Amino acid sequence: METAVIEPAVAIAGCGAITALGSGIEPLKRAVQTNASGLLPRDCVVGKTRQTIVAGWVPEATLDQLRAEDSSHADSRAFLFAHAALKQAEQSVATLLAAPSLVAQISRPVASPASRSARCAESQLARITKPPAGLETRDTADLEVCATVPPARRGLLLSTTKANIEALEALVGRQPCSPVAQRHIQPALLAADLASVCDARGPVQCVSAACVSGLLAIQQGAMLIRRNLADLVFVVGVDLISRFVLAGFTALKSLDPEGCRPFDQARIGLSLGEGAGALVLARRELLLPPCILVSGWGSSNDANHLTGPSRDGSGLALGISRALSKAGAAPDSIDYINAHGTGTPYNDSMESLALRTAFGGRVPPFNSSKGMLGHTLGAAGIVETILCLAAMESQLLPGTPRLRERDRMVPESLLENPCSASRLRRVLKVNCGFGGTNGALVLEQELP
Amino acid sequence: MNDPAILAASYVGPEGHGNDLTGLRAWRSPLKESLQHGRLDGLHWSLVSDSDPSRFARMDLMCRLGLMAAEMLDAGFDVMAEARRERMGVCVESFTGSLDTDIRFVQTPRPSIFAYTLPSSVIGEICIRYRLKGPILCLVSPDAAGNNAGVEAADWLQAGDADTCLCLGCEAMDREVADAAGLPASLRPRGWHACALLLGHGQGTARERSFTPGPLVEMCRKLCRV
Repeated sequence: METAVIEPAVAIAGCGAITALGSGIEPLKRAVQTNASGLLPRDCVVGKTRQTIVAGWVPEATLDQLRAEDSSHADSRAFLFAHAALKQAEQSVATLLAAPSLVAQISRPVASPASRSARCAESQLARITKPPAGLETRDTADLEVCATVPPARRGLLLSTTKANIEALEALVGRQPCSPVAQRHIQPALLAADLASVCDARGPVQCVSAACVSGLLAIQQGAMLIRRNLADLVFVVGVDLISRFVLAGFTALKSLDPEGCRPFDQARIGLSLGEGAGALVLARRELLLPPCILVSGWGSSNDANHLTGPSRDGSGLALGISRALSKAGAAPDSIDYINAHGTGTPYNDSMESLALRTAFGGRVPPFNSSKGMLGHTLGAAGIVETILCLAAMESQLLPGTPRLRERDRMVPESLLENPCSASRLRRVLKVNCGFGGTNGALVLEQELP
Repeated sequence: MNDPAILAASYVGPEGHGNDLTGLRAWRSPLKESLQHGRLDGLHWSLVSDSDPSRFARMDLMCRLGLMAAEMLDAGFDVMAEARRERMGVCVESFTGSLDTDIRFVQTPRPSIFAYTLPSSVIGEICIRYRLKGPILCLVSPDAAGNNAGVEAADWLQAGDADTCLCLGCEAMDREVADAAGLPASLRPRGWHACALLLGHGQGTARERSFTPGPLVEMCRKLCRV
């Protein structure tokens, strides 16, 4: 008789971010509550002309601080952003956004190596993962909590579309560029270096699938845990606003010169964003309840157009139905959707149709966060998942920053401003991208 | 549910092109010499198909190679039922990704080039051509062996996320483009190729082979008798 294999559940144990709103999760939580936008104009070179671009730029002060802390990677902004977000995520396992109590057994102040060993021995995490005798943990504060999982059981997933593309521009233009910055042009090598600083010696993967990369990276991270290849997985997404990306989206005439207005009657384009988001995923049983679980995921392809979405939204609806099915969730059990909502006329129309197809006449409350941080491309799925966590923590339905007047084609459940939620237990995050790619992720708050 | 099986395999590389049924067919001169020197512009759709080449002509090298490998699987995509297409996944793995196209875009920033500056563009082109709507994944790996695509695809099959899956390993970089950009050796692929493997649940057909997870390139080369 066959024995059923029960796959381990996957929970979110920590998060961190570098965004247009600065460093850390607190600015994001405040922005969710106030419907604030981090989009700002900045003069920059696009092609051969100087233009003012409204986008979600990482503040200069934040970048200066990161460079001061790590001068050896000064010209690899992709590494600086991703590493900073990862450090925050590691540290946040002690002060978990959604439920501080759930990490009580694995979080504690930094202490001497001797006392740390003693703590490891008694912690739930250490008991379950059984670190080998003599395990050496790095004597740094940022690795304190996660270091209780043996390095070989820690994995890393990187999500990016263009990695450290600035170095390629420098290389082709015969400008100075360090070997490290050049190395980080290749996403897998950037992933390897990030894994090294996290002491993640388990599986390392790099997902580069346009703007659904982030959701697919979370999916892959969860799969590593479900397959019992890792107990803890760092999932980090990063992308930059570079001359390359600006030239591309300008050439496609996709940018709104005044800044994006997702789902607005007068929307004409998107706003780019940059930065990094990081999550720590862990085997559910390593954490105390209640946890937020990564309970379902799905992807699909429109099979329609390389740079434009399908007109009928059927591809995205298919991805959503796959994610709901994997989560075992009925459509009417979804309390909130964080939509892709780029602000381009075609995307937002397509998404409206997809939501109607997937949810029938009762589309759950939904919003777009692109007016807050811009479209952070390969980081979007992860940064916007962090915004979902912030919403779940505060039981607040977030609004749609920069929206003036809802397009009448858009479902009426679009959230214009933040409001209290009667229940925010099951959340859906969706993204779409070039190549007709669609991704969906279901997050679920465990009941106490 | 049956274990994942290899339903078809194909290979395009400097030595030639072919699938598990035909074996390798060597390139003819002068294309052969050109390809062996890493100049890939001579690859034409007519080498593998009689269908309309107009879309192929617009694509970047990675998409051209990937689509050629998919077409050479000779797996009956054109007559496949809609329901099967909706349940067919595509998993791509590459070291080089879109770097060749990235360099070309930095040199000449045109929208037609920008559309291909993503490694996952090849998934879009394959899905458009064969109307595939299943799950997708695009991995950029630290080498060109293709160690993960087969594992991920087999997992989709076993989890019931897809019924069949097209795995593609693809490395495309024109040597002259890399030289002109001054690309360091560590970022260049050792060669170029596209390998495709179609995985599905075995039905006991003569063409099927048992699937054991391993490097995709090595598997395809062996099956296509390279």
